[in-house]
Amino acid sequence: MLTSELKKGSAEFLILSLLEHEARHGYELAKLIESRSMGVLTFHVASLYPLLYRMEERGWIGGRWVEKAGERRRRFYHITAAGRKALDAQRESWREFVTAIGRVAGVRYA
Amino acid sequence: MPDWRTEVRSRLPKLGLAAGDEADVVEEIAQHLEQQFAELCVHVGSDEARRQLLAQLDDPAFGTIPVRRRRAATRRSTRLLNLHWLGRDARYGARTLTRSPAVMLIAALALALGIGLTTMMYSVVYGLIIKGLPYDDPDRIAFVMEASPSRSVDDQTQTSVQDFAEFQAQQRAFESLGGYDLGPVTVSAPGLPERIEVAWMTRGVFDVTRVRPLLGRTFRAGEDTVGGPPVAVLSYAAWRDRFGADSSAIGQSIRVDGKPVTVVGVMPPRFAFPHENVRIWLPLQLDPVGTPRGQGRGLSVVGRLRSGVSLEDAERELDVISSRIAAEHPETNAGVHAVVTSFQRAVMPPPVFSLLYTMLGAVTLVLLIACANVANLLLDRAAHRTREIGIRRALGASKLAVVRQFLLEAFMLSLVATLLGTALAQGGIVAFNHAIADTQPPFWMDVRLHPQVLLFAAAMGLLATVASGLLPAVQSARIDINEILKDDSRAASSLSIGRLSRTLVVFEIALSCTLLIAAGLMTKSVVRLRAITPGFVTKNILTAQVSYSSTDPAKQQHFFETLAHEIARLPGAQAASLSTQLPGGLPYPSRFAIEGHTYAREQDYPMSQQAAVTPGYFETFDIPVLRGRAIEATDRMGTVPVAVVNQRFVDEYFHGADPLGKRIRLGGASSTRPWLTIVGVIPTLYTSTTPTHRDSWPPALLTSYWQRPRSDASIAIRSTSDPMALVPAVRRIVATLDADVPVSRVSSMDALMAQSMWAMRVFGGLFVVFGLVALTLAAIGLYAVMAFSVSRRVREMGVRIALGATNGDVVRLVCRQGARQIAIGLLLGLAAGAAAARLLTVVLFEVQPHDPFVFAIVVLVLSASGLVACLIPAARATRVDPVTALRSE
Repeated sequence: MLTSELKKGSAEFLILSLLEHEARHGYELAKLIESRSMGVLTFHVASLYPLLYRMEERGWIGGRWVEKAGERRRRFYHITAAGRKALDAQRESWREFVTAIGRVAGVRYA
Repeated sequence: MPDWRTEVRSRLPKLGLAAGDEADVVEEIAQHLEQQFAELCVHVGSDEARRQLLAQLDDPAFGTIPVRRRRAATRRSTRLLNLHWLGRDARYGARTLTRSPAVMLIAALALALGIGLTTMMYSVVYGLIIKGLPYDDPDRIAFVMEASPSRSVDDQTQTSVQDFAEFQAQQRAFESLGGYDLGPVTVSAPGLPERIEVAWMTRGVFDVTRVRPLLGRTFRAGEDTVGGPPVAVLSYAAWRDRFGADSSAIGQSIRVDGKPVTVVGVMPPRFAFPHENVRIWLPLQLDPVGTPRGQGRGLSVVGRLRSGVSLEDAERELDVISSRIAAEHPETNAGVHAVVTSFQRAVMPPPVFSLLYTMLGAVTLVLLIACANVANLLLDRAAHRTREIGIRRALGASKLAVVRQFLLEAFMLSLVATLLGTALAQGGIVAFNHAIADTQPPFWMDVRLHPQVLLFAAAMGLLATVASGLLPAVQSARIDINEILKDDSRAASSLSIGRLSRTLVVFEIALSCTLLIAAGLMTKSVVRLRAITPGFVTKNILTAQVSYSSTDPAKQQHFFETLAHEIARLPGAQAASLSTQLPGGLPYPSRFAIEGHTYAREQDYPMSQQAAVTPGYFETFDIPVLRGRAIEATDRMGTVPVAVVNQRFVDEYFHGADPLGKRIRLGGASSTRPWLTIVGVIPTLYTSTTPTHRDSWPPALLTSYWQRPRSDASIAIRSTSDPMALVPAVRRIVATLDADVPVSRVSSMDALMAQSMWAMRVFGGLFVVFGLVALTLAAIGLYAVMAFSVSRRVREMGVRIALGATNGDVVRLVCRQGARQIAIGLLLGLAAGAAAARLLTVVLFEVQPHDPFVFAIVVLVLSASGLVACLIPAARATRVDPVTALRSE
């Protein structure tokens, strides 16, 4: 399990990445993060939703209630232009960070 | 499964989210938890799953949901005015309004009619009263008169020359003060001789008006003192007529009463002072020092108040000066004090003010009736939309949002109506100006769509929005969501709306009843006025004025005798006469005494109209002699002075007894005139009325034109065809007698009579229009409400018919409700109408303000149209097919 500090810093990055190509609802985001990280990263409702609302407030993502035939309405989140910019910036700094860590710690990617 | 919504909600209150937001947040998180719970149950069982998830919820991170921005956004959306929401609401409103275009068009038209009439009436009030006189800052111009305790309060007089000089020297309240006097002069060369009214004024008068001359200058110091050079300032019209609007007129001379006067200035086109008939201004050459007190002419005095000085302040100051003068000259000025009023009030008779404001009030009633109609229409729609509104409310629309939606729809309607109404008003203004074009309206009257009038129209549009939209809006916002969403609750919610509609209709009927009473009284006055048989012929009669004075009385006598002789011989002239006053003219009653009676005080002397006439007068106007004889050719200088009196005179002063042979004397206590023997009686003739003389059939006496020397004559010639064809011949006759004598006020008798009735005709006609519009609107309103109520009760009617109700029963049922509203409305309206009628008294002609005939007709017309409005839906109700009715819903 990752430390909560690290998780917090990366959480926004993760959510932005997941919303990059399609709009998703909160539960889907939680499940995707959990499954893609093989259970290393998990989000509780208590941390996920405050985070989503904060990102919405910051204008990185937008939430909208969507009704689909035969399903109950759900709130879907999509990435905004500002969110894309933030995502690019975070990708860049993450890459630099990883490279730097690699150089220092001698960790190599295959 | 635990109720996740409750669990989430119980942890949220400390965040203080707005209701709509909280619902969203609860829903979203609860959904998440439900799904998670379902998955966890499979692995760990429901108890453990529940424990785990609740533990998650208690994580302190949950308390960090950002609320600031969400709440702010929420608050904005409930504001009445928000551009984003407004745009959306407007689009939605436009869609709803255009869904039933015919109904909305009628609503817009009704409002447009109301707004159009009010705007038009306001433009008249504005152009005649509010805009004021065409001088700079006209509100600061005051009119100064003198009053003394020996006279009654309303008997204020002009200011004496000496007092004016003292006022001018000592006062501080006015930045300029001027005195003027009016009188007739004969103006000739260049142009035809003409008898016109001129104003002699001190140069201060032009300063008071602050109007610059178009050409040249106004009077200079020295020109308004005795011995000053003879100069004149011309009006634009005089300059145009006499000098062909040539600017070289300055410095040229005109002849005034035979003496040359130099033109020094020309005033701009719209300038007039103190009224439009004065076309030349001459300097008032005063000599206050050289004129002993108690002599010299009286002056009308105007002054421009210094800023910050009120009329009362000015009056107080002049009073101080007055009492100083009174102390010095008690023999002429004891108790004389100054009265300062606004100049506008002095030139415009108060009855005109009250009439115009009454009319503005009347059209506002029309507008309110239109608003009530539209309010009803919107209420009706609101009743049909209760479900829609219920759903909107359930989906989170605030009450304010519903109110906003309705007000916005009313606003859009009013906007269309205001545009239409302004166009209507413009049409009305054109018609109004056309109608009064040949009636010599006051010179300052300028009726058109001034910017202030447009502002007024916009304000009326807003008023219409609120008046027609607020009730439906508030009513809809009060709808109980739960009741709507349950089935078949529409009837319940529309019930209260129905009651409101009915109240509105009562209000409409009351308002239109008030208006119809006013309209009825005015109509009856107009009908009366048109139907009067004045007692004299007016058709094919040419009238004109001629003045001639000479130092040689024989020459003067010869002039008028030849004139009378020549005009009677004109080809086409059936009869001709000279007189000092035409019949039907303005009332100038004066005092006289009956032989054998004594009168203690001056005001105890009886009053009568008087005119001196030539024998032809009776034939020209076809006035029969009831008893005795008419004035005859033998009643000349040197024979027994005679008089002919009218029937009213006999009734009033001889109580019906035979007056022939009785003697009367013109003038009051100080009269030295000869006694006149009454030789004949004629019928009572019609006389124009003024606000101060309301009697159209006053006592009158005629004397012989030839028994006294005359300097003025009103010519009257009855022609076999168009009387105006005689004008050149009459001018030729006068010019042959004396080339310098003017022929003025040439007109046909019919035109003179029409002119004296213009106000009645125009205002009476307007009232009739208002009344008819109000009646139509009220009838439509009643019909709409009854039709709506019947359509709501189709099912009930079906049941009644199925249970054996006859057509008569159904009609009675529907009409009973309508009848109650009509009755209440009528009662209220009659009371209001009786009050309003009193305001109209000054303009009514031979109609009592509480004329029972008019009141009865109004009740009849309103009840009849109200009943028809009920009967149509009632008849529809009888055609309800019980089977279909019961199956519906």
